[in-house]
Amino acid sequence: MAIQILGIRHHGVGSARNVLRQLEQFKPDMLLVEGAPEMTEVLSLVGKEGLTPPVAIMVYNQENPKQSSFYPFAEYSPEWTAVRYANQNKIPVRAMDLPAAVSFVKRDAEEAAKEIPGEDEAALQEAPIPVYHRDPLSHLSEAAGFRNSDDWWDHHFESTLTNTDHFEAVHHAMDSLRAEGVVSGLDRENIDREAYMRTIIRQAQNEMYERIAVVCGAWHGPALVELDATAKSDAKILKALPKSKIKVACTWIPWTNSRLSIASGYGAGIYSPGWYEHQWNITDQTEIRWLAKVAATFREKQMDISTAHVIETYRLARSLAVLRNKPFIALDELNEATLSVMCMGDGILLNLVREQLIVGNSMGHVPDDIPKVPLQEDFEQHIKSLRLKLTAVPKTYDLDLRKEGDLERSVFFHRLEIIELPWLSRTASRTKGTFKESWTAEWKPELMIVLIDKAFLGNTIEAAAETLVRKQGTETDKITELARLIQLSIPAQLYQNLDHLLFRINELTSISADIVDLMNAIPRLVDISRYGDVRRSDLSVLNTVVQQLLTKVFVGLPNACYGLDEANSQNMFGLITRVNTGVRLYDNVDTEQQWYDTLHRLLDKHGVNHIILGCVCRLLLDAQQLSEEETERRISFALSSANDPFEVAAWLEGFLGSNGMILLYDNRLWNLMYSWVESLPDDTFTQILALLRRSFSKFEYGERRQIGVRARKGRAVETHQSLTEREGFDAERAAQILPVLKELLGGVE
Amino acid sequence: MNVLRQHAEIQFHEELEALKKLDTGARPPNWDLSPSAVVTYLMGGKLSNGFVITPKYIGNQRLMEIAVATLTTDRALLLYGIPGTAKSWVSEHIAAAITGDSTLLIQGTAGTGEEAIRYGWNYAKLLSEGPSQAALVVTPMMKGMQTGRLVRIEELTRISADVQDTLITILSEKTLPVPELNTEIQAEKGFNVIATANNRDKGVNELSSALKRRFNTVILPVPATAEEEVNIVQTRVASSIKTLELPAQLPTLQEIQRIVRIFRELRNGVTEDGRTKIKSPTGTVSTAEAISVVNSGLALAAHFGNGKLNAHDVASGLVGAIVKDPVQDAVVWKEYLENVVKTREEWKDIYRACKEISF
Repeated sequence: MAIQILGIRHHGVGSARNVLRQLEQFKPDMLLVEGAPEMTEVLSLVGKEGLTPPVAIMVYNQENPKQSSFYPFAEYSPEWTAVRYANQNKIPVRAMDLPAAVSFVKRDAEEAAKEIPGEDEAALQEAPIPVYHRDPLSHLSEAAGFRNSDDWWDHHFESTLTNTDHFEAVHHAMDSLRAEGVVSGLDRENIDREAYMRTIIRQAQNEMYERIAVVCGAWHGPALVELDATAKSDAKILKALPKSKIKVACTWIPWTNSRLSIASGYGAGIYSPGWYEHQWNITDQTEIRWLAKVAATFREKQMDISTAHVIETYRLARSLAVLRNKPFIALDELNEATLSVMCMGDGILLNLVREQLIVGNSMGHVPDDIPKVPLQEDFEQHIKSLRLKLTAVPKTYDLDLRKEGDLERSVFFHRLEIIELPWLSRTASRTKGTFKESWTAEWKPELMIVLIDKAFLGNTIEAAAETLVRKQGTETDKITELARLIQLSIPAQLYQNLDHLLFRINELTSISADIVDLMNAIPRLVDISRYGDVRRSDLSVLNTVVQQLLTKVFVGLPNACYGLDEANSQNMFGLITRVNTGVRLYDNVDTEQQWYDTLHRLLDKHGVNHIILGCVCRLLLDAQQLSEEETERRISFALSSANDPFEVAAWLEGFLGSNGMILLYDNRLWNLMYSWVESLPDDTFTQILALLRRSFSKFEYGERRQIGVRARKGRAVETHQSLTEREGFDAERAAQILPVLKELLGGVE
Repeated sequence: MNVLRQHAEIQFHEELEALKKLDTGARPPNWDLSPSAVVTYLMGGKLSNGFVITPKYIGNQRLMEIAVATLTTDRALLLYGIPGTAKSWVSEHIAAAITGDSTLLIQGTAGTGEEAIRYGWNYAKLLSEGPSQAALVVTPMMKGMQTGRLVRIEELTRISADVQDTLITILSEKTLPVPELNTEIQAEKGFNVIATANNRDKGVNELSSALKRRFNTVILPVPATAEEEVNIVQTRVASSIKTLELPAQLPTLQEIQRIVRIFRELRNGVTEDGRTKIKSPTGTVSTAEAISVVNSGLALAAHFGNGKLNAHDVASGLVGAIVKDPVQDAVVWKEYLENVVKTREEWKDIYRACKEISF
């Protein structure tokens, strides 16, 4: 009976080659691979057509997909090559590690322990959670003078030794580290995990397998040798493990290179998947071919890179390797040489290579008939039942919300918007009216991964959206954000959380002192309160909230405008205009009056930026809260030549807004400005001219020209008044079109 | 010797000799040291016999490795960076370590002509004898080629574009034709060029892409951390006290830290705690400026004070180094003084000292 332990580095290209060679020589009748035992079944799919790496096995709790682990595989992962070899040769494969069901329970317990400090203090003191896990290999690499353990591993194990020697050397290195008592960051976990691994090996032995190959992380290797002596103690360890009734499911999901570079289920992320891929696929002239790829990438970006550049880069990389006493050129040397020769030392250009080549944009694929994550399944069901298509070509959906099917689609789209799946984007509908919506959909394969990533939020799209809204609603302390959430929830028909959100708004309103936030929220909330009950009633509480918000704004606004700098004043200018619109839409006489009182107070306050003053003056004028004489006096005061030119310009901008159209079409305003200019003595006019030019220069050329033409004509005549008084108006004939108008307006009596 | 400043190969003669003795690595032709020994010379370290090499460049070792490795290939080296990032310093020391001679130097200016790079003529001889070897005036470039040594070109981008172009043939064919004598000079093994250029004045005479291709570029950055920068200032100030024979005490670490902090904050446009945004002055505020502020402060302290560097000694140099433009920079400095320096309890002395200096 023989057991061969193959210690590997996860995602190590050299390891993969060696594992494959070793397996071919050893010809095992049983293959054990590191990984939660629940994975055993899905491992049989490795090598199946349609399953192309990078892919990952997602191990998750069926009831609560939030509990999940991912085991990513690339083409060059030693585990992947080993399993594929076994599947091709009909050798049984098993995954060996602590069951995911148990680790989920343990993880839960640990999190609970973290949340309740004080309880179980003794236990915590006994095993303090290390803040910084030091990679055990770093001890060896440091001793050998390497920058990091990856370099060291590459140097010693990935490219030089072959076959048995290789694994023996790895084994010895790890053994000596463990013998020295070097601590690995995951030690506490490793005790349990290794005990379980041994148990699984023993089980395979008992089933009379003769030649067992074990592929596992190099660090575990030495712990898996002694099987007989540890049997008893292992049984004890395993007995102490928490019992778990969690139902665990496994599935294959597509993965990407950029995700490979994130730390993962194996606890080992890699920085350069694209480089590894290259090394795996190309065995001859690897470095030169790599540089040729780099040059091609640069050329695509319109950079002039000649063959001579490639030659020089390769020479420099080789010199660097020699200088550093390395037997081979590693990615570091290639990158540094590229930086120096091809990029003129400019690191930004090198980032291009990093994204496209070093990380790479490979994307895995999983065949359709593989069991799926619930959220994904729900998504695909909806796609089918709503007759939608996942196409890479942008497709526009024009929805008519009065139709049942379109409404369902709209609801679905809004929910996807909430869970932030960047598949759809709202486009402005060509027709006006609230019952039309346009969406543009553009599908990309990696969106499925984004979706799967959100699997923990819930088993259906609806549940996921609910969870997210609730979570964000609880976390935020901005009223604007809550208003946004409500606005999102209504068209997505997520009503469960509305009460919660309204309650939060209420709560925040009473304590918040952030006037800007309040003002931002008002237009939204007014909108909701007006349109909200088109879909569902009981937003009455919202009215109270809006009322409260407004009162707070009325009280706080004058002070909030005091002493603002230019940028904030601009912002406030916009806010005041929007709140004004909101108040007028809200349509409550009392509230409106209070708002105007507030504006009046603001107008007489010192230390308020002129853009705000101008704007307030105009709003009051429009609301007929300021007489024309009064306005004229204020215009004249604000535009006096003694004022700072910037202030004058700001005031005018606030008063007129930034376009000149208003001057052309509003006779009253025109006359005001006109009589002010007229009243100026010649000297003063010359002085002030520069300031006026400054303000008017913001208007478009055409507008300025028209203003000039108008100024020549002088004071505007109230043309519309003369219209109504025109002789020959036939009341009888006019009355004839009234019925048609009534019809058009929807039968208003 | 009574020279003001020694060449690197003389000042660090002992270190170079010690390295040579223990250096077992393969040396490229005409090199005094192996590439890795050169890197050790630049970065500093302890030799196997206990001899300590002082660091010449404080910063990323990888950059020095790229620089030295470049010189083993047939491409020339271009050191690039904002003023005061030790470009010339590094080039001098590399030349000293590799060939034991840092004197083959061409200073690039707007007035540098072709004859400064290729060769000139002794016109008296030329007129009396006609073109001959004896009438040829040998430039550092020519000498470097003949002897297989490193030639340094300072401020490459200030040399006008047409003169820069004479370098192309030298760098690619490694020959220098002398048509007047119907001959040419072929470079010996070991010849190469180290050029420095500063990227603040980019666009003065941007290198043509043909010339760019002949250089490997290493950008020398401003020090990444405050610690590194303090370290640099300390080392350089200590050595200048020695060479200038100033009767002053070494400044305290706190004083250097404070100056470096002011420079870093103004350069990065943000206070160290990341809370306050600061305007940056128009000129560069590099480490070299920090060094000279400390040096001039020390001179003040030595000749007009008690030999100890205090806030007053620093203040005058500080203001002078930062306020280069009397209008814009003065505003920047005043704002910094009032908003940042004033608020720091333990910086009262320097605040008062700086306030006293009007500009």
